Amino acid sequence: MTQYTLAAISFILFTLALAGFLTCGSLVRMLMFLELMLNAANIALVALGPQPASNAYAVMLFTVAAAEAGVGLALIITLASAFKTLEAGNIKELKG
Amino acid sequence: MILNASIYLFAALAMLATLLMIFQRSPVKAAMLMLAALLATAGLYLALSAQLLAALQVILYAGAIMILFIVAISVTPQAWRDRPSPGRLRRLLGLAVATIILTELLKVSTALRQLTVSPEFSETGTLALARELFGRFAFQFELLSLVLLASIVGAVALTAKRKTL
Repeated sequence: MTQYTLAAISFILFTLALAGFLTCGSLVRMLMFLELMLNAANIALVALGPQPASNAYAVMLFTVAAAEAGVGLALIITLASAFKTLEAGNIKELKG
Repeated sequence: MILNASIYLFAALAMLATLLMIFQRSPVKAAMLMLAALLATAGLYLALSAQLLAALQVILYAGAIMILFIVAISVTPQAWRDRPSPGRLRRLLGLAVATIILTELLKVSTALRQLTVSPEFSETGTLALARELFGRFAFQFELLSLVLLASIVGAVALTAKRKTL
């Protein structure tokens, strides 16, 4: 097994999540795919990085992902109560 | 040998779950498929001898973040009603962009073909990781608690009912 294989695994997972992110319209689903993209980046970090340091970076990325999911979902819940829709294409106003 | 096989197996599982998630209409089923992808990633970490990361993946991603998603889906009934709009052009464009990015990523990393890795199971990774986190990266690690605090305050401030507008 070469490092290219490990990189390719991470890239394919990232691209699948990216394809989902670009093709779906629902905000919750977009956030899910965003998490999966971060997850794929984490795989590359753990598989290819210098061992102890890359694992430490991955732990830090876990924390950032958790914070991002919390704030993102709070935003989505606020948007859902304000606009009564979760389709990204239906939210057109910028007024607060 | 068995580690190589398990890396391929868990990677294939994660890819399959992500692929099925794209075509899944129901949001809860999509969330369950995401859970499968995250658990497969935990297996991948285990095969790469990152035991602590595998445990954290199950606890944090598959536990905490998935529960957040399920709660968000259940408190927003709009998510159930919304039907994905057909938008064929948008779908085709999205897939085209993803394909281009994948080919470019694979092309720029061809130099990695020369570097071979033979995954071996090691048990001492967690101790070295702890030394890094509480030694060299102690400041960054503490800063992350501020990031989490800011996100908690932000989430509460966003969802709290406003008294005055």
